Formats: sequence, C-alpha cells, structure tokens
Amino acid sequence: MNNNLLKNNTLINMMKRSTLTAISMVLFLMIIIASIVSPYFLDKYNLQSLIRDLAFIGMIGIGQSLLLLVGELDLSVGKIASLCGILAGMMMVNYGVNSYLAMLIALVLGVIFGTINGLLITKLRLNAMVATIGMQGVYGGINLVLTKGKAITGIPENIYMLGKGHIASIPIPFLFTVGVLVIILFLTKKTKIGRYIYAIGNNKEAAKILGIKVDKIRVIIYSIVGAISALAGILYVARLGSSQSSIGGNWPMNSIASAVIGGVALNGGIGNPAGALVGAAIISVISNLIVLLGVNVYWQSAVSGFVVVLAISFSSLSAIISEKKQKKIKLESVDK
Amino acid sequence: MNILEAKNITKQFPGVLALDSVDITFKKGEIHCIIGENGAGKSTLIKCLTGVYTAENGQILINGTDTKKNRSMFEKIAYVPQEIDLFGHMSVAENIFMPFEKSGFNGVVNQKLLQQNAIPLLKKFKLDVKPDDLIKDISVSAQQLIQSIRAIAHEDYEVLILDEPTTSLTTEDAKILFDFIREIKNQNKSVIFISHKLEEIFELGDVITIFKNGQKVAYSDLKDATIPWIITKMTGRNVDQEKMFYSENISDEVLLEVDNLTGADFTNISFKLNKGEILGFSGLVGSGRTELMQAIFGYLPVYSGSIKLEGKEHKTGDTNYSVSNGFFYLPEDRKAQGILPMLSIRENISASNLDRLKNGLFISSKKEKESAEDVINTYDIKTPDSEKAIKFLSGGNQQKVIIGRSMICNPKVLVFDEPTKGIDVGTKAEIYRLMKELAEEKGIGIILISSEMDEVKKCSNRIIALYGGKKYGEFPCTATKEELLNAIIGVKSE
Repeated sequence: MNNNLLKNNTLINMMKRSTLTAISMVLFLMIIIASIVSPYFLDKYNLQSLIRDLAFIGMIGIGQSLLLLVGELDLSVGKIASLCGILAGMMMVNYGVNSYLAMLIALVLGVIFGTINGLLITKLRLNAMVATIGMQGVYGGINLVLTKGKAITGIPENIYMLGKGHIASIPIPFLFTVGVLVIILFLTKKTKIGRYIYAIGNNKEAAKILGIKVDKIRVIIYSIVGAISALAGILYVARLGSSQSSIGGNWPMNSIASAVIGGVALNGGIGNPAGALVGAAIISVISNLIVLLGVNVYWQSAVSGFVVVLAISFSSLSAIISEKKQKKIKLESVDK
Repeated sequence: MNILEAKNITKQFPGVLALDSVDITFKKGEIHCIIGENGAGKSTLIKCLTGVYTAENGQILINGTDTKKNRSMFEKIAYVPQEIDLFGHMSVAENIFMPFEKSGFNGVVNQKLLQQNAIPLLKKFKLDVKPDDLIKDISVSAQQLIQSIRAIAHEDYEVLILDEPTTSLTTEDAKILFDFIREIKNQNKSVIFISHKLEEIFELGDVITIFKNGQKVAYSDLKDATIPWIITKMTGRNVDQEKMFYSENISDEVLLEVDNLTGADFTNISFKLNKGEILGFSGLVGSGRTELMQAIFGYLPVYSGSIKLEGKEHKTGDTNYSVSNGFFYLPEDRKAQGILPMLSIRENISASNLDRLKNGLFISSKKEKESAEDVINTYDIKTPDSEKAIKFLSGGNQQKVIIGRSMICNPKVLVFDEPTKGIDVGTKAEIYRLMKELAEEKGIGIILISSEMDEVKKCSNRIIALYGGKKYGEFPCTATKEELLNAIIGVKSE
C-alpha cells in the first residue's frame, strides 16, 4: 500500500508540497496556451503593456499578502494610492515642489494613512474589513474634496519615465515591483518582524504569550501597505501623466485575488508574498487574452471572473484529487 | 431492574488506557454517584455511555438491548455536560428546544409555541428568566440550570447523566435542582450524578462508584460509606511511596512576591515564591488558578494589588515586559495558546529568542538551526528533523518544545499550567524530573498549576489551594490529601 502511495502522481505531489510551484506551473501553462491561441500574445508591445499592468496589481498584492498572513486585509489600498497620487500631483503642479521631493512626501503620507488604518483597527479593536471599507470612503472623499473630481494635468515630464519608461525593454514599474518583492521577502524570511508576522497569523494568542507585541506588528504592516499603495499610486500618475481620482479602483479586489491565487491563506499564517506576483500575472494574462481574443466587451468581466475562480480552485482541487486517491487505495486494501 | 449496563468496557487513547475493563450497572429509580480524580476515566465513561465514543472492547446495554446493534437506544439517555455550551445569542426557549426535532415543528420554528412550552419548565425550576431572554444576558447559575432543563426537555429519556452540574450554581439553585433530581428518581428513572463535592453526594445519592486510573476501584451503598473511605479509595493512598519530585535546593532569596492581587476571576491573592522553589497551585476548574497566573504574566488584566519580581515592581498587562524580564508562562491549552501549528519546530523554538539569533539585521539560519537542534537534543524531542511542522508532534513532544523554547531565554520564573494534560504516564515523570532539575540546578522559581492532586503533591514544596478565586489555605508538601481536597472544594482548614 505504501508503494502505491509513493507512486502517487508526482505532479500532484509537487503541487501539494508547494502552492507556489503549482501556481507557477499554471502561469506557465497559461502563457503557452495564450501564445498558441493568439499570435499577438508574444508581441513585444503586448508583453510590455501586460507586464506594466501586472506590476501595479502585483505590487499591491505583495503588500496585501503581508496583511493576509496575519489574517487581515486592507480594502482602502486603492483609495490611498489615488489620494497619494493626487497629493503628489498637486504639490508638483499647484505648488511647484520639486517632483522627486513631492513623490517622497506622498510616500510618507501613504505611510501615515496606513498607520492610521492600523491604529484604528488595533486600538479600537475593529474588524479590518469593515474598518478599511469605512476608511476607503474617507480617503476617497478627501480625494474628491481636493479635486472636485477633475484630473490634475501638467505633471512635470521628468517623472514620466518612471511610469512609461523601460530599462532593457522591461517596463520600469515592474522593476519597482520586483524591488518591493525583494525587500518584502527579506522582511518576511530574514527578519524578526517577518517571523512575528507568521507567528501571529498561525496563532495570535500563542504569539501574545510568547511576548510578541502583536498590535505593534499589525500597525507596522498597515504602514508598510500604506507605503506600497502610495508608491503604486505615484507610479501610476507617472504612467498616465496626470493625477486622477479613479486610479486604483479595482486594486483592492485584484490584490486580494492575486495573493489568494498565489497561495496565501485568507485566514493567515500560510503563504509566500512572491505568490501574489504570480497571482497578479495570472490575472493579467487572463484579462490580456480576453482582449486579444476579441471577447465581447460585455462578456469580458464575467469571463475573467470565472477564470479567476478556476485559478483559485486549482490548489484545492489538487488536494481533493489526492484525498480521493487515498480513499480509493485504502478501500482497495480493505477489500483484500 | 438494570436500565443501563456497561460490560467490560475498555477505551484506549494513544499512550493512555482511559478505561480498563469496567463493569457498571445503573438501576431504575436510583441515583448513582460517580467520583474520581481528574483523569480517572469518568468523562471517558460518560462519553461511552452516551455514544460519543465507541469502546474498543465490551458492550453497552440499554434496556437490555446492545447499542452496537441499535444505536438509537442512546436517545434514551439525557446528558448535562460539565461546561456550559449554550448558544449565547439565542433565546432561552430556543436553547431549551434545540434542535427543534422532537418538538414537532416540521421545518418551521414557531417561536410563540417554543416560548409557551418553555414557561412550565422555567416555572418548575423557579427560574426568574423570560423565555425570550438571550442566554448571554442571564446569570451563570441560571445558564447552568438551563443546561439541565435542556437535557430533560425531551421527555422520553430514561437515564439522566449530570456531569458536575452544580459548579456554578448558587445554593438555592442547587437545592431546586436536587429537588428535581429526586422527583425524577420517584418517576422510576435512573440518574447518574458526577461531582467532586462530597456533601452533595451524601445528600443526594443512593450508591457510589469510585474510579481511579481508568479502573473501577470501589462500589458501595452510600449508607455504608464514609468520607475518609471514599477519599482513600479515590486517591489510593497505598501507592503514596512513589518517587517525589519537589526541589531540594531552595534559596532564601524571594523571587516573586504577589500582594493582594485582584482581577476578574480572583480576589486578594498574596503569595511569595523563592528561587529554586516549586510552588503548587491546586484547585478545581473555575477556581481562578489559570486566570490568576495569566494575570500575573500580563495576559489578562489586573484590577488591583502589586507584583514584585526580584524586588522590582513588575509592570502588569504586558506579556512582552514579562518575557523580557524572565517571567514565562507555559499555557494549559497548548493548541490554543502554545504552538504555532503550521510552522516548523525550528521556527517554534526560535520565535521567543530571535534577538540572540541575528547576524546584524537578519536572522542567521545557521544559528537558528543550531539552537533548534540543541533544544531537540537536550529535551529528547522525538522528531526526524527540526523542519517538521509542530502540529504533527505528539502532545508530550509539543510540550517539550514549549519548555525548551522558554529555557533558551534563561527564565527566572516559569509557570507550568497543567503541564501533563493529555500526556502519558512515562512522559509525565520526565516532565516532573525536568521541573525538579530546573529548580535545583538553575535556581528557577517554578509555579505548577494542576488539577491532579497526585501531581501537585509529588512535585511541590508548598501548595496553595484556590476555591472560587480565593486562597483557601497554604500547605507544606507534607499535607495530607484529605486536607488538600477539603480546601479545593471550599471547606476552610483551621
């Protein structure tokens, strides 16, 4: 019987061992399929715009996965991003602040917004989801008060390249995302804070008894997520050449989806932030392919939603299959 | 006439023989009391009798029918569990008639009918609550009575099992419950009554069965039984010559001084702990022993009073402060408060000690691995390697990981809260030996919380008894079990 178990499908075994490997294989498979069904998929221009798209969702997803690891989430990431973009734009255009300084200040403001989220949630013991739904209204509202809904144009051209430019044909926003990932991976795998994040996500009460300052760590994560949101918002402004209050509208949901597709557990303690980037890539390939295949505009959202659900179920499907297999093997041995 | 009969019941758990060939019969119109220390096998027996567990060996007959052939016979048995497990945000009536099956409401729950049906039951128990009150808003005593009402609301039962039904009852409520139990007896039904309180047993019971270490050790008519006889049988004093594990190297230096401490579940507690001493805390569930220690540790709030560690005022409500000052708490509920289940043994060990495992800013994998392997070797943790997720270890080995990870932080005070809960006999002795060694060789002050009388007596230099959140006496390790037992059931010693 043991022999039989060992012979168990190696592909499934590999997927069971690491969700990251599994989901990377799914991405690889999707890229192959995409390049077969659409001749334009591997086109340089198409790939560049795809990668530029996924850079933003990926970056936010990496931040979101930190929160998911402690069993929380932030639905105000998109509004923090657009507010920081607006504030950076206003400083540059209306007050003539040096554009790099303005971006730096906006980044600090993002940290502050994130910290406010974290303090509200920890000090008032609020539920993260409800609290950040509320705060997204607040940040979005400030945004509208400041702009009256109008875009801020005339952003200095010297920062355009941060959003539109390439280095060795790779879109610069993607390089930022990779940079963020490297820092976050170091944080989670190599530092005290990282260990505490996993400890809290595994068992909050045990973490407290170990003497971990649970609330402090939670606030730190919210401020990191605030910073990442601000960075994504600013880069998006550089990409568009104008600050718009609509930036980041679908980032909260897409960032959570990409983290979950990437194998980060919704209730904490399990997963790797790198998975969020792979998850973001999957989502971007799907939406790119839908456009390339000329799917009816009205159907696009339904199709991409369905494929996302499929992608999420992939890791649980492998578990279901292997359970069934074990059951079969066990029953066969009982029959004998 | 035997309504319920267990023949040769044996139930085994990994490493523990919970019930060892037990024969027991229950007669109609009889109140049958069961007594025994924690871990004696009472709960396991009840769970076998109610069909929650299936015993490996033996038969359970209800009304002469083998339950293996007809599981529906278990419906004849009503059961009142020890812990309150009502639905706090549902009404009294809903709780009583849950799951509404036998109330004849085919799918639709008729709230009005439920409430009407609840009124006579509530009146009978002289309960001053309305059927539509929410459970969370009524007193704990009323809640515990509701548990009993719920069990008897389905009238076709023939055996009523009550597992310590009076732990939170007021004296009047207990009287009402006892009157009702006598009424059931007169209806020629059978009652099984489990309690630690000997007065209750003598007041109410007809016969008594005593359990120890999974075996039925005595049975008697209560008319012929005396309190000393029961306690002797229960504690098995003739096996008292077993090895003792108290510390033999206590320093004069006071390590921890707790003065007049009051919190939500304990009142005006004072005690001192010396270096190298093992101080036992004895008490029943609900005596406030765990809450007291968690409050001193900073996990639960302290309302008033003071704590001094090595003469220095100790900050309250801050676990980080306690840990950085060498005060560690090893929780009773390892699963809920101890382990980080999905993380590896290595990560579980290093989590308390990351500052000492760093190279500059980052954690050194090499140092981390070395420290984990050190703990695994020192405490003889049985695992193939340090990368295994801790949830796959046995309870005893998990406990050793938790002890080990505190030890690498050079603790001054260690609180062991039920350190051998769910752990087999062999590993138990290992943990006792470890505690003794830590106290004697490292001068650590150890506080041992345990509901097992044997354990406290074997390991402690002094024993403090708690009852209802108050200190009911302080005993030397030479105290008799009778003295201790009296104190933890609330009889003041002179």
